[in-house]
Amino acid sequence: MAKKSVWSDNRFWQRSATWVTGFASILLIWLTFDTSAQIAMGNDQDLKDGVTKRVPGPTVINYKITYEMDAKRGHEVPVIGEKEKFFGRDDYSEEEAGALLHLGKLGSQAKNCMDCHTLLGNGAYYAPDLTKSWLDPAWGPDGAMQALTGKNTKEEAIAEFLQHPDQYPTHARMMPDLGITAEEAKGLVAFLKHMSSIDTNGFPRNFGRMQGAVNGK
Amino acid sequence: MFEPFTDVVPSFFGWLNQGPLTLTIFLHTVIILPMIWIYFQEKKRLENEE
Repeated sequence: MAKKSVWSDNRFWQRSATWVTGFASILLIWLTFDTSAQIAMGNDQDLKDGVTKRVPGPTVINYKITYEMDAKRGHEVPVIGEKEKFFGRDDYSEEEAGALLHLGKLGSQAKNCMDCHTLLGNGAYYAPDLTKSWLDPAWGPDGAMQALTGKNTKEEAIAEFLQHPDQYPTHARMMPDLGITAEEAKGLVAFLKHMSSIDTNGFPRNFGRMQGAVNGK
Repeated sequence: MFEPFTDVVPSFFGWLNQGPLTLTIFLHTVIILPMIWIYFQEKKRLENEE
């Protein structure tokens, strides 16, 4: 009788498949918990202590955020700098900042920003990606959008635009007036500022190539 | 072959994702080596049956 081959033996494949499936399941469960820990939001104390978190606490709105090239990692990372006034204040408590972010998040969902925009990789590419929009130099001191709205600060310019987007048509794909109130706009700007401080491993990739976005250049 | 660890928060999965070789070595260790072991076990079993 011909010698039986292990390759045509059912038990070998059964045991191999059982091992790989079982091990992969354990790995995926582990990965889930590992990810949860990595994306857990930091708090005010982390910001004061300079502890780097992928997702900083809500009080990050009290600080200046810049986008700097990290040569080691090969892409830009948001850097939290010194204190910066946000709607005239830089002393938002964790509760106040959290409430503002919550309002902004609910607002972004109620107005369905993702219908046109992309937030952290979710949404559409009809309108600009909002993941790092706070860092867009167009809203900065010398930016075209700030000049267009006639405001003196980034947050006021964005808030003004959000309340009356139809008054500032930038191109053919004009943003419609969504009836955003002043308070909602403030929350949305806080939401956008916080989102820009999230370390997204350089996403969106093309943002760093924007004139003036990185290191102020 | 081994690149400096640059992830924000050190973790096993961050290490795994550093370069193509770390992942390859890991997958060979956990998939191919046990399969070789299973292969020889089964071979021995088939020989004993005959």
